Amino acid sequence: MKTIKYDLSIACVIALAAIILALPGQLPGQTAAAKPSGDNGTSATPWSIQVDQVDAGNLDLAYSFQIAIYENLVEELKKTRQFPQVFRDGDQKASEVPNLLVLKTTVEKYTPGSETQRAVTTVSGATKLTVRSQLLTREGKVVLERTVNGDVRFFGSNLRVTRNLARNIAKTIEQSHVSGSGQPTTILTGQP
Amino acid sequence: MDRFVVSRSHSESYQPDRPRAFGLSIVLICCSLAAAAQQITQRGNTSASFSVRATHLLGFANASNNSTGTLSVQDDSLQFQQKGKPGATVKIALVRDVFLGAESKQVGGLPMTLGKTAAPFGGGRVVSLFAHKKYDTLTLEYVDADQGIHGAIFQLAKGQGELVKSELIAQGVTVSSHQDPSTKESATEAGHENN
Repeated sequence: MKTIKYDLSIACVIALAAIILALPGQLPGQTAAAKPSGDNGTSATPWSIQVDQVDAGNLDLAYSFQIAIYENLVEELKKTRQFPQVFRDGDQKASEVPNLLVLKTTVEKYTPGSETQRAVTTVSGATKLTVRSQLLTREGKVVLERTVNGDVRFFGSNLRVTRNLARNIAKTIEQSHVSGSGQPTTILTGQP
Repeated sequence: MDRFVVSRSHSESYQPDRPRAFGLSIVLICCSLAAAAQQITQRGNTSASFSVRATHLLGFANASNNSTGTLSVQDDSLQFQQKGKPGATVKIALVRDVFLGAESKQVGGLPMTLGKTAAPFGGGRVVSLFAHKKYDTLTLEYVDADQGIHGAIFQLAKGQGELVKSELIAQGVTVSSHQDPSTKESATEAGHENN
C-alpha cells in the first residue's frame, strides 16, 4: 500500500514538472498563433528592413527634400529599434539577410510653403507632404500600405516637414502589426 | 636728402665699392624674384584645396546635424570640419550626384523667433517680413563601402553652392542633367516676397 502511494506521489511530481516545463513553451506558441508563422518556418528569424530611395513621381519635389525624407526615415526607423537591422538602398549586406522587408515611399502630394509667410501670417504658408508608404517582402508581397502626412505649420524651415513625415511613417510602422519577429501578414490600406 | 650734406670727396671714396654694391643688388633682386615665384607656387597649391563656410543640415558621414563648419575639397576627399572636432570625410570618387537648390530662411534662429513672438502689437511679424535671407542648398548623393546610398545636405551662402559644385565637377564628379526644382520654387518664392 505504501509503495503504491509512493509511486503515485512520484507520478504526480513528474506530471507537475512536465506541466511546468511545458507551460513556457506553450506561451510563445500561442503568441505565434496570434501572429501567423511563415510558410517556410522562418518565424524565429527577425525581420530586417531596407529603406528605398524616395520616388517623387511626377511632382516637382526638390531633390534635397527627397534625400531628407530618405535620411530621416533611416534615422527614425533605427530609433524605434523595431527592426534589428536597417539597411539603406543599394546595400549589398541586405541580400545576405534571410528576412527582409523593403520600405517604398512615393510622394503623392506636395504643397510648398514659405517660412517667411508662416512667420508673418501664422495661418498660411504651411509646407505639406503626403506620401504612400509600402512595406513589401522580397517577393513583392505588400505587407503594409499607408498614406502618411507630414507638415510644418508654424516654426521651422521648410525642410523640417521631412523629419515630421519620417517620424509619422516610423510611428505608423511601429503601431501596425508588422514586427521585428514572426511573419508579417497584415495588409492595411488607407490613412492612419 | 643726405646727398646735400655728403661732400664730394667722401662720395668718391666709395667708388671702388660700386661693383660690389651692384653685385649685391643683383643678388637681392634675384632673391626677391625667387621669393615671388615661390609665393605663386604656394598660391597654386592652396587653390587645390578649396574651402567654404557651410552649415551641415543632415547626412554627411558622422558630422552632427545643423552644425556649422568648413566644407573643403582636399586631394581626393570632401571634408566637413567643425571647430574643435575631428573632420568628417567622404571620398570624392564615392559621390554619385550633386544637386543645387536655393532656400529662403528666417535669420536669427530660435532666440530671434522667441523675441519676435514676444514683441507687442505684432511687431515681430513686421520684423519677420524683412528678416529673411536666401541660401544655397547643396545636396550630395554618395555611397558607402557596402554601396548603400547616403544623402547629405549643406546650406551655403548665396553663390557659394555653384562654386562647390564646379569644384566637385572638376574633381570628376558626374552630375545628372536635370535641375533641382527647388531653384525654380525658391525664385518664385523670392519673387512673391519682394512684391
